[in-house]
Amino acid sequence: MGKFVIRRLAQAVMVVIAATILLFIGLFVLGDPFASSGDKVVPPATQEILRAKFGMDQSVPMQYLTYLGNLFTGDLGVDFDQRRPVADMLGQAVPATARLALVAIILDVIIGLVAGIIAAVWRYSFWDVLVTVLTTLAIGVPTFVIGIWLRQTVSGFWIFPQVPRTFTEVAPWYTEVLLPAITLAVIDAAFIARLMRGSMLEVLRADYIRTARAKGLGERTVIMKHAFRNSVIPVVTYVGISIGVLLGGAIITETIFQYNGVGYLLYKSILQNNNPVIMAITTFAVLVYVGLSMIVDILYAYLDPRIRLS
Amino acid sequence: MRKQAWLRAAAGLTAAALVLTACSQKSNEGTSGSNTGANEPSAGWPQTDVPELKPGKKGGTFKLAIVEPTAIDVYNAQESEGILVASHLFTGLTITTYDGKVEPGVADKWETNDDCTEWTFDLKTGTKFHNGEEVNAESFKRGWERVAAKDSASEVAYHMAGVEGFDEMQAGTATTLSGVDATDPAKLKVKLTEPDCEWYVRTSHTVFSPVPSTAGTPTSNPAFVEQPIGNGPFMMDGPWQHNVGIKLKRFDGYTIQDPAYLDSVEISITPNGAADEYAGYQNGQFDWARMPVPVLSQARAEYEPKGQWITRNTNGMNYLLVMVTEKPLDSAKARKAISMAIDRNAIINGVFKGSQTPSTSLVPPAFPDAYQPDVCTACEYNLDEAKKLAKEAGLTEGTKLNFQFNTGGGHEEWTAAVADQLKKNLGLEVDIKGLQFTDLLNNEQQPGASGIFRAAWGADYATPGNFLEPLLSTGAIGAKADEPVTGDNRGRYSNKKFDDLLADAKKEKDDAKRIDLYQQAEKIAIGDDLALIPLWNRTQHRLANADKFINLRMDFHEDPDLRVISIK
Repeated sequence: MGKFVIRRLAQAVMVVIAATILLFIGLFVLGDPFASSGDKVVPPATQEILRAKFGMDQSVPMQYLTYLGNLFTGDLGVDFDQRRPVADMLGQAVPATARLALVAIILDVIIGLVAGIIAAVWRYSFWDVLVTVLTTLAIGVPTFVIGIWLRQTVSGFWIFPQVPRTFTEVAPWYTEVLLPAITLAVIDAAFIARLMRGSMLEVLRADYIRTARAKGLGERTVIMKHAFRNSVIPVVTYVGISIGVLLGGAIITETIFQYNGVGYLLYKSILQNNNPVIMAITTFAVLVYVGLSMIVDILYAYLDPRIRLS
Repeated sequence: MRKQAWLRAAAGLTAAALVLTACSQKSNEGTSGSNTGANEPSAGWPQTDVPELKPGKKGGTFKLAIVEPTAIDVYNAQESEGILVASHLFTGLTITTYDGKVEPGVADKWETNDDCTEWTFDLKTGTKFHNGEEVNAESFKRGWERVAAKDSASEVAYHMAGVEGFDEMQAGTATTLSGVDATDPAKLKVKLTEPDCEWYVRTSHTVFSPVPSTAGTPTSNPAFVEQPIGNGPFMMDGPWQHNVGIKLKRFDGYTIQDPAYLDSVEISITPNGAADEYAGYQNGQFDWARMPVPVLSQARAEYEPKGQWITRNTNGMNYLLVMVTEKPLDSAKARKAISMAIDRNAIINGVFKGSQTPSTSLVPPAFPDAYQPDVCTACEYNLDEAKKLAKEAGLTEGTKLNFQFNTGGGHEEWTAAVADQLKKNLGLEVDIKGLQFTDLLNNEQQPGASGIFRAAWGADYATPGNFLEPLLSTGAIGAKADEPVTGDNRGRYSNKKFDDLLADAKKEKDDAKRIDLYQQAEKIAIGDDLALIPLWNRTQHRLANADKFINLRMDFHEDPDLRVISIK
C-alpha cells in the first residue's frame, strides 16, 4: 500500500507542474490585457508603465519562474484590474464555492443513490421507468436552462432569497446556497442514479449474492451490506471527480445566481484578461482535481485489494 | 473540468444557434424595406423630456445595480460604473452638467493667459472633505500628483497629458508636477506645454479631483482605494464590498453646490449587467435600470405610459471605422458609395426595433451647440447615387470588402444586415468576420489593414474636439505608414486643412468662434472626405422609479443624477 501511495504522489506532482506550464503559455493566447480600455486604445506610454508594474516586461520563462517561486511562498500576485491581492480574492471565493460544492454533493449523492438502488432492486417496475425517464431528462437539459428557470420561478418564494436583490438584504448562507446547489445537483444526481443502477444490477447477479441469499440472509442485509459496498465503487470515482469540478467553480450557475464563488470570479477574470486571477484559479482547480483523483485512487485500492496488488 | 467544458460548449452552441436564427430573420427584415427606405422619416424613438427640477425633501434610499467597477477611487475610476461612484464622492474644479455644459465646482471662476498655456482657478474657500479637512489648492496638487506618479500606474492618467511636468512624473524622474502651483491656498495655477483654450473642460473629469492629506498613494494606502474620502455630495458608508455592493450616504457638510436630498444610495453589484438590473427593477428591488436590447420594446410599452421611461441621445456615436489609405476605400467617393448603400432606417427598425436613431454627423446631438444635423451629406440611403459613386470609385461587382466586428457585444445582427445590404445593393463581396475585441483592435492597428470595422466612441470631456481630434487628427495616428497605429485614429485619416482648423480651435478663446472652427473641421472630415461612416447616435434607455422619486434624470455619464433626485 505504501509503495502505491508514493508512486501515485510522484505522478501527481508531475501533472501539476506540466499543467501550470501549459496554463501559463495558454494565457498569452488570450490576448494583450493592456491594449485597450473599452473602445479606446491605451496610450503606449501607459501600456509600458502597466507592463512594468505587473512584471509583464520580463521574458515568458522568467515570468513563469517568478510565478512558481511566488507560488511556493503563497504569493499569488495582484490582479490587473483592481490591483487587489489575488490571495484575498480567492480567500473570499473559495469558501463560498466549497459550501456550494458540499451542499450540491450531499444533495446529489442522497438523491442519486436512493433513486439508483430503488431502480435496480425493483427493476422494470414503475419506479425504475420513472427514474430512467427523469434522469434522461435531467442529463439532457443544460444547467443554464435549469438555473434560469429556477431563478425566474422559485427565487423570492418560501426560503429562497430573491435574485437579483439589493445587497443590504442579507440572506443566510444556507438559504443563498440552496438554488445554485439544486441546479448543480440535478445533473450529477441523474448521473449517479444511472451509475448506481447499472453497477447494482451487475452485482446483484453475482454468485456471492446468491450465496448470501441461500444462507437465508434477509433481503435488506443482502442489498445494503453485501451488494451496496461493491456496487458503490464507480459512484465514489464519479463523486471524487465531481467534487473536483465543483470546487473549480461553477461558472454558469454562480453567475446566474449572483453567487460570489470561484466560478464567477473566473468568468469575470477571463472577460478582463486578468491573468493572475485566471492563473491562480486554474492552478487551484488543478491542485484540487489532482489531489482528489489521487485520494479516490487510494480509496479504490482500499476498497478493492486487487487494484493495489496489480 | 471535463463537464464544464461540455457545458460551456453547449451554452455557446445554443447561444450561437439563437444568434444565427435571429440573424437570418433580422437581416431579411433589414433589407426587405430597403427599396422604400429613401424617403421614410428617420427611424427611432423620440427622446423623453428632461424633468424640470422641483425642490425636494431630505430622506429616502435610492437603489440601483451595477457590475463590479475597476475602481471607485478617482486615481483609476474609468468606466461608467466607477465614474458613477467617484463622481458623487468627489467634486472637482468644474462639473459637467447632465446636458454637457461645464459649470463651477470647487473653482468659482477661471481664466487663462493670452496664448492659453497658463490657467488660474479661483477656489471656493471653506469647502470640506468628508473627514472635515478643508479643500484647498494643495488638495488638488496632491490629488493630481497621486494620479500622475509612475508607481500609481493609473490607466486614466493620460488625461493630464499636456500639464507641465506630467511626462517626467510618468517616467519616474520627478515626484511633483512642476506645472502646478498651489502656493496660494485659494488659487490653483496650471501651466500647459501647449496652448489649449478649453483645457478647463477637462478638469471636470474625476481624475482631476482633490484628495485629503490622509490619502497617501494607491500602493501605500490601499484602504483609501477601498473607501475613498472625497469632497462630493455623498460619502462612503462602509468600505466597498467587492462583488456585493457599495453604500453611500449624504454628506451634510457639502457646500460646493446644493447638498443632495437622498439619505443614502444602495448600489448592488450583480454579475449580469442590464439583465439583472431589469429583473431587479421588475421585482421592485431597484429604482433605476438598464435593459437588455431584446426586451426594450416590451419594456417601453409597459413602463412609458407609467412615466417610468427615459430615452436620451447621449455622449457617443456608433460608426464604421474606415481604412482610408488602403484600397478599396481610399477615395471619398468609395466611402460615400458604401455609406449611401446602407439603409440605416431599415436596420434600426428591423434589428433595433426603433431603439436607436440614425446618425448624420460625427459630433452627436448630445452636444447641441456644436451639432450639425446634416454635415454628413452621404449618410442618407440613396441607392442610385450609391451605385453611381461606386462605379466612379471602381467598386464593382465582386470587389472584396473586409468587414470585421467584435463578438459578444451584441453586434452580430446589425453587422450581418449591413453586410447583406452592401452585397445586395453594390454587389460587393463582403468578407465579414467576428473576432475577440483585442484581436479586432490589433487588426485595425496593423499597416495595410483595409475595409471597414465596427466602432464606437464617447467623449471624455464635453467638447466636440474630443470626437474630432482623437479619431481623425494626424497626430492621433501616432505611427508611420508602415508601423502599427498607437493612437485612436486607426483609419489613418490625415488632412492638413482639418489638422490646422483643430489647432486654431485650441488657440481660440472665444467659445462661439471655437465651435465654429470645430464645425468647419467636421465639414471637411465628414462632409467632404467622409473619413468614417456614422451609423447611429448613442441612444440610451432607462427605467426610473417615478412612483417614489422626482427629478429623475441621466447625467453626462449615463448614470442617475444622484445630486438632484429626491423622494416625492
